[in-house]
Amino acid sequence: MKKTMLAATAFATLMGSAAMSETVGVTMALFDDNFLTVLRNGIQEFADGLDGVDVQIEDAQNDVAKQLDQINNFIASGVDAIIVNPVDTSATQAMTDAAAAANVPLVYVNRQPINLDTLPDNQAFVASNEVDSGTLETIQLCDNWAAEGKTEVNAYVMMGELSNQAAVQRTADIHDVIAAGKCAVTINFIDEQTANWSRDEAQDLMTNWLSTGEPFDGVIANNDEMAIGAIQAMKAAGIDMASVQVGGVDATQDALAAMQAGELDVTVFQNAAAQGSGSLNAALSLARGEAVEKAVWVPFELVTPDNIADYLSKN
Amino acid sequence: MTDTSHGIGGLSFDTRKRTRPPELNVFFALIGIVVIFEALGYLLQGQSFLFDSADRFPSIFNEARLKIIILQVAIVGIIALGSTQVIISHGIDLSPGSVVGLTAMVAMSFAQTATVNGNPNPKAIFGDWAMDLPVIAPIVVGLAIGFGAGLVNGLLIAYTRIPPFIATLGMMVAARGAAKWWSKGRPISFPTEEFTWIGNGLGGWMPVVIFIGLAILFMLVLKYTVYGKHTYAIGSNEAAARMSGINVERHKVLVYVIAGMLASLAALVLASKNLTAQAGMGVMYELDAIAMTVIGGVSLNGGRGSVIGTVLGALIFGVIISGFTFLKLDAYYQEMVKGAIIVAAVVLDQWRQQRQSARS
Repeated sequence: MKKTMLAATAFATLMGSAAMSETVGVTMALFDDNFLTVLRNGIQEFADGLDGVDVQIEDAQNDVAKQLDQINNFIASGVDAIIVNPVDTSATQAMTDAAAAANVPLVYVNRQPINLDTLPDNQAFVASNEVDSGTLETIQLCDNWAAEGKTEVNAYVMMGELSNQAAVQRTADIHDVIAAGKCAVTINFIDEQTANWSRDEAQDLMTNWLSTGEPFDGVIANNDEMAIGAIQAMKAAGIDMASVQVGGVDATQDALAAMQAGELDVTVFQNAAAQGSGSLNAALSLARGEAVEKAVWVPFELVTPDNIADYLSKN
Repeated sequence: MTDTSHGIGGLSFDTRKRTRPPELNVFFALIGIVVIFEALGYLLQGQSFLFDSADRFPSIFNEARLKIIILQVAIVGIIALGSTQVIISHGIDLSPGSVVGLTAMVAMSFAQTATVNGNPNPKAIFGDWAMDLPVIAPIVVGLAIGFGAGLVNGLLIAYTRIPPFIATLGMMVAARGAAKWWSKGRPISFPTEEFTWIGNGLGGWMPVVIFIGLAILFMLVLKYTVYGKHTYAIGSNEAAARMSGINVERHKVLVYVIAGMLASLAALVLASKNLTAQAGMGVMYELDAIAMTVIGGVSLNGGRGSVIGTVLGALIFGVIISGFTFLKLDAYYQEMVKGAIIVAAVVLDQWRQQRQSARS
């Protein structure tokens, strides 16, 4: 029995086990975040499509203590598995311990728990590998510059909040791509500053950069909002958007519209819905005693004007 | 006593003891900071800070930098005008940042365009009826939110007598919650062409024009109208103001309503300038506004300060932000230095005041 279940896909397995009802408790770091809402809906929709699977989704409202309480409440009410989108990735050990003590399977989603390497067998982590986002973005920008016939370019880097792991990682990715020789051109970084993920701050920062009058070939931003802010500032200054390369990460609707308008050149899609359904899939597998990889990676996807049509309705 | 002159209401003052207006000190500080950046610019970048060293502009100035220095503080500056009169009345308003977030979200919902690049608006909040509305709709809705938030603040402060810090702290938390609730945290984008004019019109100068226009208006109002005189009177000595027949309660409500409406106006400009509204917009704006006000010489003890000071305080902020980027100062140091400058400005102002009162 166990062997056949392992072989079958999770979906088919669940169809076969429709009779036994399973409950999965989900605690999200916060409800009012665009990306996490898509992820949450991904969990809900995947559950709705399955027979006999109920999900109970709670909002931790960015409160570490509240999240741990929710997990303990799930354990007390006897759920089959728990999905946690951690408020604070350094506070996950207590959550792992609570679930392990009650022998309830637990899956972390989207945010990497600090104790990933020491997770017990019935716990797992589902996310996209942050190393890929900045890497994909930078390599594509390099290729675009090379395609324009350039060999040496001047670029600005816009960083997200300096206390944020994604901002640090994506910025490191840019330099790692160059160090690894994966960039088709030589990049001179004119300046590297933070605009705190914000479109407004990015507009002001870009306008300040433009006031120096230094020639440049593009802007590498840690997210789309900042890329759009940079674009708005450049447009206001009368710069031809065809003459510069601008890259972001997230593939938001605003970014896709900017790409359709020929202003944004590169963005990277993080598949929130797939992370949601993937986490539920992993949770259900663990609940049945099946083995799941410690870290399940949902790949980042590069978005350019060539394949933008595939992404217009995804976020 | 030979130099004694006669002032209004039979009060006399000694002209020798008159010192230069405090705004002049703020102005000198502004000039001083510019000179520092100018010098460091030549030393570290081989470039002038404010002047056109590469012959890129028709005038002798680096016009692009002059513009961004004021443009980047115009929106918070509009809020700071409200904070100025609140602080002069010996109050404090912590809610503008959150009011900005809430106003931006709600107003943008009524400013959306039906089609984006030929597709239906992917961020539509309401149905077709709310698409492509005349620009007056989001403006009226936005200002109404500021009016409402200010009214609640004012009524709480005037009639329940809870400290302004607490009343507006409550509004800060509640309005931010409402901003997130409005669209369940999703950003709202793609406004009509007309709406984008509020923050991008006049070649991008629109926010500055609104800021300076309102600054002049409030300077005149605070200096020459009954409203202004009552604001200073209540801030200097509330009991005395009440004794002299001023309706303190009603006046306080008015002060906070005006501050709320200025915050919502700032939100309209911000959302329009960025072509988007997000629940997190305006976080910390109230503190930047208070910092500009205080750097400009407005006393947190009430009754002292002016709009000119606040405008100069805002310019100091703008010069510092642009100067740091100009010098390519590492991002990690920028906030540390900014914090130090805020505190230093107020410490210097305190010393100056103590010296002055010791002399008189």
